[in-house]
Amino acid sequence: MKDFEYVAPVTAEEALSLLSQYKEEAKIIAGGQSMLVVMRQGLLAPEVVVDVKGITALDYMTYDEREGLKIGALTTHRAIETSPLIQKQFRVLSEMERNLATIQTRNWGTIGGNLCHGDPAGDPAPVLIVLGAMLKLRKLTGERIVAMEDFSRDILEVDLEPSEMLIEIQVPPPRPHTGTAHEKLMVMQGDAGIVGVAVSITLKPGNGICEDARIVLSNAASIPLRAKEAERCLAGRAIDGDLLTEAGEVASKEASPPSDVHASEEYRREMIKVFVKRVANKALERAKLEVR
Amino acid sequence: MAEKKQKVKKQKTKKPDIAKPTVILKEEELSVIGKPIPRVDARLKVTGEAKYAADMEAADMLWGAIKRSPHPHARILHIDTSKAERLPGVKAVVTGKDFGGFKWGWSRETRDEEPLATAKVRYLYEGVAAVAAIDEDIAEEACDLIEVEYEPLPGVFDPFEAMKEGAPLVHEDRKGNICVEYHWNFGDVEKAFAESYLVREDTFQTPRMAKGYIEPPAVLAYWPDSTHLTVIPAKGSPYFPYRILSNCFNLPLSNVRIIQPFVGADFGGTKNDMVSCDFSAPMLAKKSGKPVKIVYTQFEELTTCLRRHPMWVTMKTGVTKDGRLKAIQNKVISDGGAYTRMSPLSNFLTGICMALPYKLPNFKTEMHCYFTNNPSSAAMRGHGIYHTRFAGDVQMDMIAEELGIDPVEMRLRNAIENPKPGKIYETINKLHLATCGVEECVEKVAEAIRWEEKKKDERVRGSRAYGIGFACGTYLSGTKLSGHNACAAMVRICEDGSVNYITGASDVGQGSDTVMCAMVAEVLGIGLEDIDIKRVDTAHTPVDPGSYGSRVTVLAGEAAINAAKDAKRALLEVAAKEFGVKPEEMDIKNKRAFVKANPEMSIPWARLVRMACYTTPGMVIIGRGQSSRGISTYGLADFTTGIGDIGTNYSFTAQAQEVEVDLETGVVKCTDNSVIAHDCGFPLNPPAVDTQVVGGAYHPGVGAALYCEFKMDKGLTLNPNLVDYKLPRAYEAPMTQVIHVITNDPFGPFGAKEASEGSTCTAPPAVINAIHDAAGVWIKDLPAKPEKVFWALKEKREKGKK
Amino acid sequence: MKGEPKELKITVNGKTYELKVKAKALLSDVLRKDLKLTGVKRGCLESTCGVCTVILDGKAVRSCSILALQANGHEVTTIEGLAQGDKLHPIQQAFIDHGAIECGFCIPGRVMMAKALLDENPNPTREEVRLAMQGVLCADAGYVKQIEAVEIAAEKMRGGE
Repeated sequence: MKDFEYVAPVTAEEALSLLSQYKEEAKIIAGGQSMLVVMRQGLLAPEVVVDVKGITALDYMTYDEREGLKIGALTTHRAIETSPLIQKQFRVLSEMERNLATIQTRNWGTIGGNLCHGDPAGDPAPVLIVLGAMLKLRKLTGERIVAMEDFSRDILEVDLEPSEMLIEIQVPPPRPHTGTAHEKLMVMQGDAGIVGVAVSITLKPGNGICEDARIVLSNAASIPLRAKEAERCLAGRAIDGDLLTEAGEVASKEASPPSDVHASEEYRREMIKVFVKRVANKALERAKLEVR
Repeated sequence: MAEKKQKVKKQKTKKPDIAKPTVILKEEELSVIGKPIPRVDARLKVTGEAKYAADMEAADMLWGAIKRSPHPHARILHIDTSKAERLPGVKAVVTGKDFGGFKWGWSRETRDEEPLATAKVRYLYEGVAAVAAIDEDIAEEACDLIEVEYEPLPGVFDPFEAMKEGAPLVHEDRKGNICVEYHWNFGDVEKAFAESYLVREDTFQTPRMAKGYIEPPAVLAYWPDSTHLTVIPAKGSPYFPYRILSNCFNLPLSNVRIIQPFVGADFGGTKNDMVSCDFSAPMLAKKSGKPVKIVYTQFEELTTCLRRHPMWVTMKTGVTKDGRLKAIQNKVISDGGAYTRMSPLSNFLTGICMALPYKLPNFKTEMHCYFTNNPSSAAMRGHGIYHTRFAGDVQMDMIAEELGIDPVEMRLRNAIENPKPGKIYETINKLHLATCGVEECVEKVAEAIRWEEKKKDERVRGSRAYGIGFACGTYLSGTKLSGHNACAAMVRICEDGSVNYITGASDVGQGSDTVMCAMVAEVLGIGLEDIDIKRVDTAHTPVDPGSYGSRVTVLAGEAAINAAKDAKRALLEVAAKEFGVKPEEMDIKNKRAFVKANPEMSIPWARLVRMACYTTPGMVIIGRGQSSRGISTYGLADFTTGIGDIGTNYSFTAQAQEVEVDLETGVVKCTDNSVIAHDCGFPLNPPAVDTQVVGGAYHPGVGAALYCEFKMDKGLTLNPNLVDYKLPRAYEAPMTQVIHVITNDPFGPFGAKEASEGSTCTAPPAVINAIHDAAGVWIKDLPAKPEKVFWALKEKREKGKK
Repeated sequence: MKGEPKELKITVNGKTYELKVKAKALLSDVLRKDLKLTGVKRGCLESTCGVCTVILDGKAVRSCSILALQANGHEVTTIEGLAQGDKLHPIQQAFIDHGAIECGFCIPGRVMMAKALLDENPNPTREEVRLAMQGVLCADAGYVKQIEAVEIAAEKMRGGE
């Protein structure tokens, strides 16, 4: 790993100042669980590393029924996983975190670091997309809000300017009559998913018709992929097994999954079919519980 | 292990002499052996005090790094080290030329490898130069500054490319890229096939695997003076570097000191053979005049160090109507990688035990190992035997299915029966068994897994299917080696009654130190806590080939017993004089020497020792012992013909393993319904045997069956890290139950045979057979990754529709 | 300035140190080389094996995956800080008594992982023990005795027998 200049701001303002000063020369490190890997491989060699891990003010989780959930960017995966608040209100987030890498990684790695790394195989992004999350980005001159869905641009590339920092993840309050689920295909517990699927299903109370469906795939394209065609299969329909199978097949066609040492493109397409069906079914069952 | 080439004379094989068994005491007479024995080194390891090679330091130490080739096959035209030498902080640079043409190899006839390549590189990242500097960063930077001009050459990357007419040659003098070949023939397989009720031929494939130990190679080397070399390497067989470095640096053996640190497992291959750092560190130390330490990265371990051979086994088997084996004919092709290394032995082992654990009257095999431009292949737990045992036990199930025979019944019909006391079973290729517990092993695992009940169960439950697979295995124990592979030990009794046990036998985590000390304590009649053992140090410990060949317990154990007996004899002579009896009329137990006919006539251990040391002026009590069974005069197996005992005795194992198959994704998981019955003769330290058996089945066994595989692209390793190369982990580990089958082998110390290599051979076929029992598909090429299983299931469903 | 060593104040095994380290130094480098705590093993240096696991502010982390400077002002416990003089921690004792140690290379990291688990959750299910052990690779022992040793230690620590 190449040497670098190191600065450790203790406030977000200080961090933003430094980013504004160094621009492209600087890279933020939070938990470093993704950053250090690429730096060690020589894929990234910033002149300046801005260590934001010490900005404790960005480590929080709050919830209220109107504003929803707000997670500071420097909240660790493990904190999210084990938070009673998250387990109660957004169980799917805790479930997703439980399967993410290993406990050691989750103890130090942050949700913000994970999202800004922009790995299309990552787990948090698909779940946050189906939850309708928004991201608060800040630079010295102001803030902007970006939908989680719009954040990823390409493999390891997100909509973040060099002088910007992710401050907060905002998740709207859980919608009524909605079930959400996430699963990924692992050979070993903690693996990056060969494919992953997050689904949210909202039912119309009374007739059980699907009012809204959101399906997002990981490791199925160069960014977390919202399978809109598959969603359209389900929206406005009464969901049964055959419809879920159809949705899976449609999603599989929408995707352009990679081939790598773990799996071929073909197999990934087959697994998208399986997992869209499984996860949508799980989300549906959860939605049904909410309707009662 | 010296390989015997085609021209060697046929050795007359000797039947082992069972009139003279080694020490077998009745279980009730044992005080230490056979009971749970706490590991002598456990405390040091659990407190972090145990030092491994990478933890070693010396004053003024430099750090070394290796410069590696970016081509898998290329001529080296020119090396310019001048920029590296000028970098501040660099204290020495060496290239292949510094070794003066030295070549080395597993045996004298196969010295084809250099410490650092000079004329040609033959695999990607092969070392061409090395640097020592004041820190790791500067050493690495200096490597980048070394300029090497290469002429890339076309390469061959698997045996099928290598064997083609006109293929590029990895070694110019090795026609057809053949590293080694054997052709053996026993009985008449053609006649037997003609007479068989059923004949079946299948091809199986085993994967290219990493050894899987976590500790990367590391070494610290220094020269106390210009004619003495000291090296502290992460090696399970310190006497290999001892000899090889003596040759390399032209030093008498007496001046080469290898001190063995704690070693993070061995498993064969790199940790008992040499790699570039083992030569470069001493050479850099010589040039710089300072100690040099080199620690490989995990990347270097996974891309350049020795691997398990990938093999293609085509097996043709003929059976009678009731499923008894009549003949097996094998064709084995393996990828030896760039250099010969241990390939002769690895390939020999695929055939030598084919007539175990089942009765086999006719056997023919041809084995070809090819050079390729891949990192070299070498030994790994289950060495050689695992490949053909996998094929054999899966094909056995295939045949059982065709004939409608239950897989347990099939194995019982074919199993070699345990010879009656005093009798010996001889295989067609003249292996000799005094004990064989495989029948009992099969019965016990079938019973423990409740096969009679479970075989009636519905296999499919929803989207999952469950199945149980069986397999048997064998492994040679107490390998008989040629060359100077003696095994000796000393027992030194200090004046206060404490004891030093001095041996070259090497504990790499399997617990041999503990068991050696326990044997010494048992023979001397004192407690385990009275025995001290230190790490191997070739300046003080007698020569020993170290931890490989499943030999330590059996052969080093024999040496331990003999040394302890020798020391005991000296003491009993003194005691006997005191009591006016003959030494044979006395014994030592529970730290008292006593007259057998009249036990009140006794003297405590410590007092006896003091008496011996002080009343006989100048008496120093040192017992010496060696193993007579481990050396070449005792029935050496003939590599050319495949005849003769390769082991002193042979262990047997049976495994029953349940798996869960996700029918929609192809993901296979081992469940906790997992049983292994192991006949290791007599378990000297039962808990240690348990862990080794379980670990042997899981890591190299289930690893091969489900997870582990290097993916290659023209010599480039595509998954060179421990996440993309999937080493087996805790969440997926079955809580395997181990059952001990006791056969009391007359040729092992206290009746013991090797423990746990057998389970490395049973796990892969048991898992594959279980997948078939669950889901009706045969996966013949390992590992059974989800994608592979998925396509097999899809194909089966489609066939079913037609 | 790039390359200039930076100040690091860190408490390790109860003792506070003031060191100067390179910016790119990993926590495992500093523990092993500067503080000679070689019980913290060096396995992969790339976040895959876990034998470098230590406890940082009460949480198990891979010391090779953290810049040393990130531990500035924090508390670290390594295997060397576990025993009280001659008295081993119940987890260490359980590993010895249950025969859960083979070559020993993964043991320091594994024991620290187990300690972090039991400090947080004194009564873990087997599944939770497996999840904790998942983060530290072993090559030899098959994990069975190690999982059992953690459960035995947990019971002992809860006051059971």
